[in-house]
Amino acid sequence: MSPPPPPIVNTVNLVKIYQNGGVPVPAVRGVDLQVEAGQFVAVMGPSGSGKSTLVHMIGGLDARTSGEIWLDGKRADTLNESAWALLRRQKIGFVFQFFNLVANMTVADNVELPALLAGASPREARERREYLLGELGLADRADAAPAQLAGGEQQRVALARALANRPSLLLADEPTGNLDSRNTRDVLRLLSEVHRDGQTIIMVTHDARVASLADRVVSLLDGEIVDDGAVGPARRRPRATAGDVVELRG
Amino acid sequence: MSTTRASIRWIRADLRVRRGQALLTVLAVAGIVTALITAATLLEDGTNPWRGLFAESRGAHVWIHTKDAPDVTALSRLHGVTQVAGPYRTAPVMLTMDGKKSPVALRGMQVRPPSVAAPLIREGRWLRSGDVDGVVVERSFAEALGLRVGGPFTVTALSGASHPLVVVGLADTADQGFYPEWTPGLAWTLTTTLARVEPALGRSESVTGLRLADGEDTLPVAHGAVTLLAEKIQRMSTWREVRASMELDNRLLGLLLALFGVTGLVAAALAIVNVVGGRVLTQTRDIATLKSLGYTRSQIFGLLMAEHGALGLLGIAVGLVCGQIASSFALDGMPILPLSSVPLLSIIGGTAAVVLVAVALPAWRGGRTPPIPAAPAAPPKGRLSRVARLALLVRLPPALVLGTRDAFTRRVPAFLSIFGLAVPMMMITIGLGVWATLDDFLHHPEQVGQAAALTVRPDKLTPEDAARIVGADPEVQAAYPGSEVSALEPEQTRSVLARAVGTSAQPYPFSVVEGRMFAGRGEAVAGQGLLDLLGVKIGDRVRMTVGGTPLIVHIVGRVVEPDQDGEVLSLGLDSLAAKDAVPPQFYSLVLRPGADPAAVRARLLAASDEGLEVHRVVNPAERLEVVRVLIVALIAVLALLGLANLLTASALGLRDHALDLAVLKAMGLTPGQVAATLVTGTGLLVVLGVSAGTAAGASLVGGLIDLQGHTSGVGAGIGRTPSALTLLVAVLVAVGAALLVTLIPARRAVRAQIPVAVR
Repeated sequence: MSPPPPPIVNTVNLVKIYQNGGVPVPAVRGVDLQVEAGQFVAVMGPSGSGKSTLVHMIGGLDARTSGEIWLDGKRADTLNESAWALLRRQKIGFVFQFFNLVANMTVADNVELPALLAGASPREARERREYLLGELGLADRADAAPAQLAGGEQQRVALARALANRPSLLLADEPTGNLDSRNTRDVLRLLSEVHRDGQTIIMVTHDARVASLADRVVSLLDGEIVDDGAVGPARRRPRATAGDVVELRG
Repeated sequence: MSTTRASIRWIRADLRVRRGQALLTVLAVAGIVTALITAATLLEDGTNPWRGLFAESRGAHVWIHTKDAPDVTALSRLHGVTQVAGPYRTAPVMLTMDGKKSPVALRGMQVRPPSVAAPLIREGRWLRSGDVDGVVVERSFAEALGLRVGGPFTVTALSGASHPLVVVGLADTADQGFYPEWTPGLAWTLTTTLARVEPALGRSESVTGLRLADGEDTLPVAHGAVTLLAEKIQRMSTWREVRASMELDNRLLGLLLALFGVTGLVAAALAIVNVVGGRVLTQTRDIATLKSLGYTRSQIFGLLMAEHGALGLLGIAVGLVCGQIASSFALDGMPILPLSSVPLLSIIGGTAAVVLVAVALPAWRGGRTPPIPAAPAAPPKGRLSRVARLALLVRLPPALVLGTRDAFTRRVPAFLSIFGLAVPMMMITIGLGVWATLDDFLHHPEQVGQAAALTVRPDKLTPEDAARIVGADPEVQAAYPGSEVSALEPEQTRSVLARAVGTSAQPYPFSVVEGRMFAGRGEAVAGQGLLDLLGVKIGDRVRMTVGGTPLIVHIVGRVVEPDQDGEVLSLGLDSLAAKDAVPPQFYSLVLRPGADPAAVRARLLAASDEGLEVHRVVNPAERLEVVRVLIVALIAVLALLGLANLLTASALGLRDHALDLAVLKAMGLTPGQVAATLVTGTGLLVVLGVSAGTAAGASLVGGLIDLQGHTSGVGAGIGRTPSALTLLVAVLVAVGAALLVTLIPARRAVRAQIPVAVR
């Protein structure tokens, strides 16, 4: 039997301690988390449980205090800021709660930006953008400014942007936190579709219904994993929408 | 580089939404570069017409006047000499025009203009072989005497014979200075004509010009020529003397511009730091997003540098073009040469460095933006500032209190804004001070050493008659007899002007600014330039040779001395030896207040039957009128800089308080009060900046002008602070305009739908 492929994400005793006016405030206290390729992991927990911090550290947006982060079998926590940026460019896509589209740029430019950044030619970037926006039903909004879009549309654009470079890992920080239920449903449907195509996703949420879409739910409390359980494939109804599944765990 | 394309998209998108601000940056930098280039052109004697004339005419560096024609071959073999002009035979003749006689040096030339030091024909034409009576006259001489092409030019040779010649052309030359600073006047004629006018070789001299490989090497060549020609040399002149005699008052102008330019550069740097810093702050989220997408710290830095630096560099390029245009306007019609490359490159390099450093500081900060886009961009502190608490204490309206609180929520940008407004305002105040000083020069010439409006020389009349005619005029308050002789300073290397006007008992009203007026024989007052030249203080005694007579001069005071770089010794006529003092050479006339010098002049000329020579004293301020144009232009540029700072402060204030707006409205503030809150936040910074700048400018301006006066030899004591009314108006205009500028975005922000949930 050949050795199994390394997990996409592997954190070892990951710790983050913020300094608040000289007082150490631990946000993440020794998290060991392995995410296999193709998994869809929901990270749940109440406010202040350290779930956003954990995802930010995995994406290199925030520096860890101690512990190890391995991405695709390579150690990443020792990288400097620039190396992290290069890594993000190629391997990590981010979706944020407040969309964070560049306000001055059109939807098309926003989606093409990561591809251009990764060195794609303008043509490749445009083709990829046309494909993604088409898939997400935004083809006709390409020339609009982000401010002209509704919240759900903006988040779909953000998702398109995150997927522009075919990242091996998609990190979503409360992607539905700022959306109404209809838009939440749309965005979640898209997430599960990209997951079905093999995309590895780590999604932070405090909404159990949202989390129930994932393969696996990791619950954090005060910076520690208190529960880590797979949502059994048997119980998953692939065609179900988020609203149909109400399942609380942890 | 892979990020280039992405960065270009970002920059294009960003510039599209802030065209006005970008334009402001470009214009401000362009204005500063324009000022600096114009200043350098003026300071580097590009404005001295000599430079242009010398280059155009391929002038000779050294002119040697000898009794007979020198050995040209030997002269041309001197080390450093590349070409020789002449020798030209030159005869002294007297030009008679309307009964007035002016000495002229008539120079014999060939039909073919020489290759070195050729007269530059400006009107008419050069001499032709048939022109037996034709002369070409040096232009400044012709202008002074009203000579025109085709007009008569009747000269009397030393023999007394009169020759009616005709002017065929007017020409510029770098051979000698302008008339009347340089006499005699110069005219060129054919050698055959010259031989007819002055047949006696003994009464003429020979003039030879030497063009050198390096103009700086005049001295060895002059020494060589002296060794070679020995006592044949009658006199010698070099290009330095010609240049000095053509020097204008551009130095002061240039210094002023340079002061404005350099301070303007500081102001521009501040404005750029503010503008870019403000932009970076407002874009924190976008920059964080870029980082989360994979921009590295240095790539963000490069992106910001490229965008904002490019605007600055564009401004420099525009300024380069404008500088050339401004220089040629400032020196209307004068032949100027473009600025040489060293100062030009240092201006470009220096400005570019300042701009890039100014951009780099906020860009570096932008590069350090944490990559988490959700990171709060709000000001860290929210507590009431001391000023706000004070405002509460005196029960100001709520809008004012809230605005006051807002003003200092971001300390560093607030102080940068204040400083960024204070520096332009300070310069504007200094500009107004210069304006006031010029006004003072014009309205109170007696305070700048020009009490006399007219100078009368007896010319054809006896001094007694002249004194009688002058004294009879009802508008002449006083007539001071005077003589000017040269005084040799102790080391006997340099002569200065000794001007004796009035007597010790009844001295001319010199404007003594230090010490006291001379009151006895042997006492004198001096200009700053002379004090510096001699290295003496007031109260010192100096041994000088005044008009050939040794004299121990007791310097008892310092006067404001606008002439001769201040290198003038002023004393009583009774201190001079009798041969110099009697009869007096001229009378300086102080007119009654309100008298028109031109009218008095006309009356005196009529009364003396044109026998007197009456000159108006030229006020230095009249030659400095262009300074006023300059002040207006600079105020415009400085106002642009202030505006850039202001818009940044306003935008930053709006951004920081965008969320508060909803809260304020919810609290029950009317839209007017909300707008007032926003305006107060920026307005307070404006008031502080403008007041500080005005105060600093007002306290500096007198000293600065006096400093300039000191270094130019005029001496301290001329600087004036703008009047309180002027200052008040300037402050009110600045603050009022600023409030208007802030009000517009504030009102727009208040009216706009406020997104409550963002962030």
